[in-house]
Amino acid sequence: MGREPNRGPGAETRGDFARLGQGGREDRLPMRLVVRLLGRCLQWLHPLRLHMFGLFGGFSLVAILLFPVGLFMLDLIWTRVLQGQPLPEEQALFMGFDPALVSQVPVLADQVRRDLLEWGLRICVVLAISVLPVILALYYYQVWILQRVNQLLRVRLLEQLQRLSLRFHADHAIGDAIYRMMQDSAMVTQLIELLFFTPISTMGRYAFGVTVIAAFDPKMAILLGTLWPPLLLLGLWFSRRLRVGFREARETNASLTSRIQETLAGIKVIKAYGAERRWQEVFEGASLGAFRAAYGARDRLAVFTVSLFWVCGLALVASAAFAATRAAVEAPLMVEVLGFSIWTLGLYNFFKSRFSDGAGQLRMLFKTWGRTQDVAIGLDRVFELLDLEPEVQDAPDAVVLDGIRSGIDYKDVCFRYQPDRPALEGVDLSARIGTMTAIVGPTGSGKTTLMALLVRLFDPDRGAIEIDGVDLRRFRTASLRSAVATALQENLLFGTTVRENIRYAVPQASDTQVREAARVACADDFIAALPEGYDTMLGERGTKLSTGQRQRLSIARAILKDTPILILDEPTASLDAETELRVLQNLAEWGRGRLIFLITHRLSSIQRADQILVLREGRVEERGTHDELLARAGSVYGSLFRHEAEPAHAAGVPA
Amino acid sequence: MSRRANARIEEKSELSHGETLRVLGRAFRYARPFRNRFAVKYLLLLASLLPLLITPWPVKIIVDHVIEELPILPSAYPSALQPLAEALVGLPPNEVLYWMVVLQLALLLLVGAVGTGGGERDRAESKLSGGHDQASRTENEANEGWSMASGLLGLFDFRFTIKLTQALNHHYRSRLFERIQGLPMTVFDDERIGDAVFRVMYDTPSITNAVYRIILTPFASIAFVLAVIWVIAILFGDHPIFWQTSLAMFAVSLLVSLPFTSTLRRRSTASRRAGSATTSSLEEGLTNILAVQSLGAEDREQDRFDDDSWSSFVRHRSVIVVGMVIFVFAFIPGMAMGAYAFFHAADLVILDQISRGDFLLLFTYYLYLIFACVDLGALWIRLQEAAIGLHRVFFLMDLPTETDAVGTPPLPHPPEEVRIDSVEYHYPDGTPALRDVSLTLRVGEIVALAGPAGAGKTTLASLIPRFLEPKSGRVLYDGRDAAGFTRDSVRAQVAFVFQETLLFDATVEQNIRLGRPDATEAEIRRAARRAGAEGFIRGLPQGYHTPLGRGGGKLSVGQKQRLAIARALVREGPILIMDEPTSALDPETERALIATMEEAREDRAVLVIAHRLSTIRHADRIAFVDKGRIVEEGSHAELMARPDGAYRRFVDLQTRGAA
Repeated sequence: MGREPNRGPGAETRGDFARLGQGGREDRLPMRLVVRLLGRCLQWLHPLRLHMFGLFGGFSLVAILLFPVGLFMLDLIWTRVLQGQPLPEEQALFMGFDPALVSQVPVLADQVRRDLLEWGLRICVVLAISVLPVILALYYYQVWILQRVNQLLRVRLLEQLQRLSLRFHADHAIGDAIYRMMQDSAMVTQLIELLFFTPISTMGRYAFGVTVIAAFDPKMAILLGTLWPPLLLLGLWFSRRLRVGFREARETNASLTSRIQETLAGIKVIKAYGAERRWQEVFEGASLGAFRAAYGARDRLAVFTVSLFWVCGLALVASAAFAATRAAVEAPLMVEVLGFSIWTLGLYNFFKSRFSDGAGQLRMLFKTWGRTQDVAIGLDRVFELLDLEPEVQDAPDAVVLDGIRSGIDYKDVCFRYQPDRPALEGVDLSARIGTMTAIVGPTGSGKTTLMALLVRLFDPDRGAIEIDGVDLRRFRTASLRSAVATALQENLLFGTTVRENIRYAVPQASDTQVREAARVACADDFIAALPEGYDTMLGERGTKLSTGQRQRLSIARAILKDTPILILDEPTASLDAETELRVLQNLAEWGRGRLIFLITHRLSSIQRADQILVLREGRVEERGTHDELLARAGSVYGSLFRHEAEPAHAAGVPA
Repeated sequence: MSRRANARIEEKSELSHGETLRVLGRAFRYARPFRNRFAVKYLLLLASLLPLLITPWPVKIIVDHVIEELPILPSAYPSALQPLAEALVGLPPNEVLYWMVVLQLALLLLVGAVGTGGGERDRAESKLSGGHDQASRTENEANEGWSMASGLLGLFDFRFTIKLTQALNHHYRSRLFERIQGLPMTVFDDERIGDAVFRVMYDTPSITNAVYRIILTPFASIAFVLAVIWVIAILFGDHPIFWQTSLAMFAVSLLVSLPFTSTLRRRSTASRRAGSATTSSLEEGLTNILAVQSLGAEDREQDRFDDDSWSSFVRHRSVIVVGMVIFVFAFIPGMAMGAYAFFHAADLVILDQISRGDFLLLFTYYLYLIFACVDLGALWIRLQEAAIGLHRVFFLMDLPTETDAVGTPPLPHPPEEVRIDSVEYHYPDGTPALRDVSLTLRVGEIVALAGPAGAGKTTLASLIPRFLEPKSGRVLYDGRDAAGFTRDSVRAQVAFVFQETLLFDATVEQNIRLGRPDATEAEIRRAARRAGAEGFIRGLPQGYHTPLGRGGGKLSVGQKQRLAIARALVREGPILIMDEPTSALDPETERALIATMEEAREDRAVLVIAHRLSTIRHADRIAFVDKGRIVEEGSHAELMARPDGAYRRFVDLQTRGAA
């Protein structure tokens, strides 16, 4: 029952999930898998593809509009306004200026230069005012889309967690699941940027830069065009190290979350045993570990980006020096390009801005690449969880369970949590509608497991459970569970009102139904005495109520579900005898025409059961009615019963 | 529904301006122990901004003296650069270029900047991708490392910063955790665990955040802006319009977002709270997975989470909208003034009053100014956001914890007798739980508390180890008030077995050892044997070293219960309190346990809260509790002898069918 995963067929331990938190130093996600992983994520973007096309279209339109305007303005200011060089005639006409003044002169007059400047500034202001709201709106739209994608993934993850059987949940920390859902899943929002926007825009602008530079000087174009191999080498050298670092950072942070969650859940014991200081040490150790891992990963990323700039910077300095020497001697160009025929200060600036933009885009691409390693690790952890096959799954042709006519039969049911530790061995049981079956037996004899199989929290390893002669596995799990109400011994309440807690499984139940259920469970009295009655808020663990009160709420919750099958798993253990008796009387009345299973230790309460099953070490040791079992010589039930009744006899109390 | 529960944690939902300032002031006090390192960081920040003033110069020199081949006039240079200009006087253009390239390469290596444009500068940082709501963004803040420069200086600055951030966060995360552990137990009945997780993990970075964004960066930005304005004033002293517009830009940027602060604060609060509610709702659903699955309420839980999570996203967006509005308001006047200065500068070039290199310099400096001013404009926004997070941290820090007054002595020796002396206790919501209760426990005695559910039995028992403090009356250890001794020393006397079993994700042995860290292996085994747990422990794959998984994993309730009892038995104190330990035990184990209780009585006082007669009747005395009072006290036989006694009625009901 430890942490060792069950390797049996159908067990939910596929993949590396069980290794979690052990902090692997090896890279479990080689590049090939990163690519495949990112590909897999496309399905999450799929539901929002129309919005994404819209967004991408919007951004592209803005970029297509602004980019040439930017180039145009650069030329206008540097070459025409600051240097006074004349405009080409077509451009003058396009701008609405008289070609006689701005094109057919060797040098522009001061007033013309001033007019051109004013014209340019006016265009810039108009553009800024009209485009800024569009960009902001697009940005808002982008956030909405990304949140939507993240929301879909989060909800899907919760659904998956709920589908996984209790066997999974017993083995895994809540903190880890929280971390996967909140932190890791958020990485899906980065996909659009990492897979589409950044690569398309950076590579596009880089290619444009290389092309423009090539038109002025092929050698410089080669320099810019071959800048990527050294950066790629850097990227390859770093990416494996980055992934290892990022995984460690995420795992240590997840386990820190678990530490905090666990401490808070067990705070009572920690305080009672004065273990605060030790827990503090454990926490500080985990916190330091998480910080150390985060530092390691982030430092590598920083060194990577600094190195990228060193490489690019060399090319930038070289190209700028080259352009300066050309411009200094006003070297002629081979052909006229974009209105330039010789190297000038304007061309120097234009050349420099294109070169640094091209190199900058490339650098951005590789920086993004570095961050992508982290995103991939986060998503890998998400998919680890999503890829677990739920142990209990509906058959493709499963049908809806629609009421129970006859009853339930367990046929030679065997189940084990772990291969060498049988929990149930060859259990046969038959229960008909309108009867109450009591199950008794020592701790760990399999009583709760027996009932868990009925609602398919697990499936039997061998044998079958049948409803009206049909195997449980032929029904849809949801319909099966909605036919069963369970009141548990460990009664779990939610941080909401009493009313909401009672109608937890049936949100649409009316107040009258809630009151009626509370009455049957003998909870109406104490609820009425609460400060706000049915509207009283309960704490996260419902600890404001006593155990007995919580148990009655959970019985009321089960009753309200109004199902053909009711399982009471020791829900009356903490009730005083008087209340328990009243609850059981109410239940017997309410339960006519239903199937009731009652697990209990208190034998005095089960004498009216139609049959009693005594379980021991996973086997049915005895079965029969109370009287039959008592009459049987050497009966275990008999000895248990006499033991319980003993004190009353010892004290000589008459019945 | 989780929002309602959350609202109870912090009754106040809005911060006034005054409170905002107080909260921030407190954050700076918290940062004080780290002030030397913050001072170094500030110097590093200034050092990394300085190169920004220098990097445009090689470009200007290239433009003016290499391309335009203007003569170098050292007098036109700021005094700091005059030696450089003088060294270059008379050199042919290609040599000037050579030296400028050398200078640029040096700058590249040291500070990672070679020119003026965005593509020619870099910053060392490691911001990772975050999500789009509060819960998924703050990890970056806890590990924030950044520098305004790149290169060797940037890398050093980055490392220094991230270490400082982490050291401070670790310090306060640990303090917060300590505080949470120090809270009285009653607090945890009400608070939501997920919320506390959120605070420890994600709200403490608000402290570093506040220091960086409210003190360091703004002051460095202001210093930088003023330096730029000063350089502009020196270089273009003939044209005061330049430094005047710069100064105006600076002033406007500081003021523009002020009117939005309260709106922003409200929305940020809502956003953080929604992020925290999402974590809580998730935590709650996962903890209760057994109930969820067996009640078939998966859809219900999913809808609940769906709502909470989406509302967290929506609220995050509403914060973004305010940010956008502020940006627009800061951007437009900045742009207008920048455009005006730009127009004027171009005009001066046309009139040949300044060189094209000068224009480039001015242009670069203006770009710096616009970015720095937009950044400064966001100062008030950051102030609000930091205040919200800080308020959440301080709220938890300020809850009264169980601290002993300075100089409180420890309990001198293990008690022989514990007496509860006319104690009264009220629940936090004011309803009375215990009224005038007195009870004595002596070593060597078993006392049973019996009575209907909700009568106050557990509350009564919780007074003994001072989990709860009585409203009036005293708890006396050998006649001396327990309130006069340290809590730790009082609790060390008591082993408490709770109603609900709480096991940790550790091995069987570690879970038992929690009772006494220095227990030997033999003592642990003996305790396990006495608690009737040895049998099933041996059956576990790795025996005592089997990890239990979360919350005890797949152990049955009874098995968990027996481990909890073993944990109590391994403890040394002379008082053993068992709260309904037998409710989940089968009769056989119960019988073994009763034997244990009898054995424990030899050197301990045993207080047992039980409903089962088989347990109760082994007590020397039975105190019958009803509605917060002890209504009857005596041995089983004595109490049964009272014809109309409450205890007798209770027993009759329980055995009615059985006898």
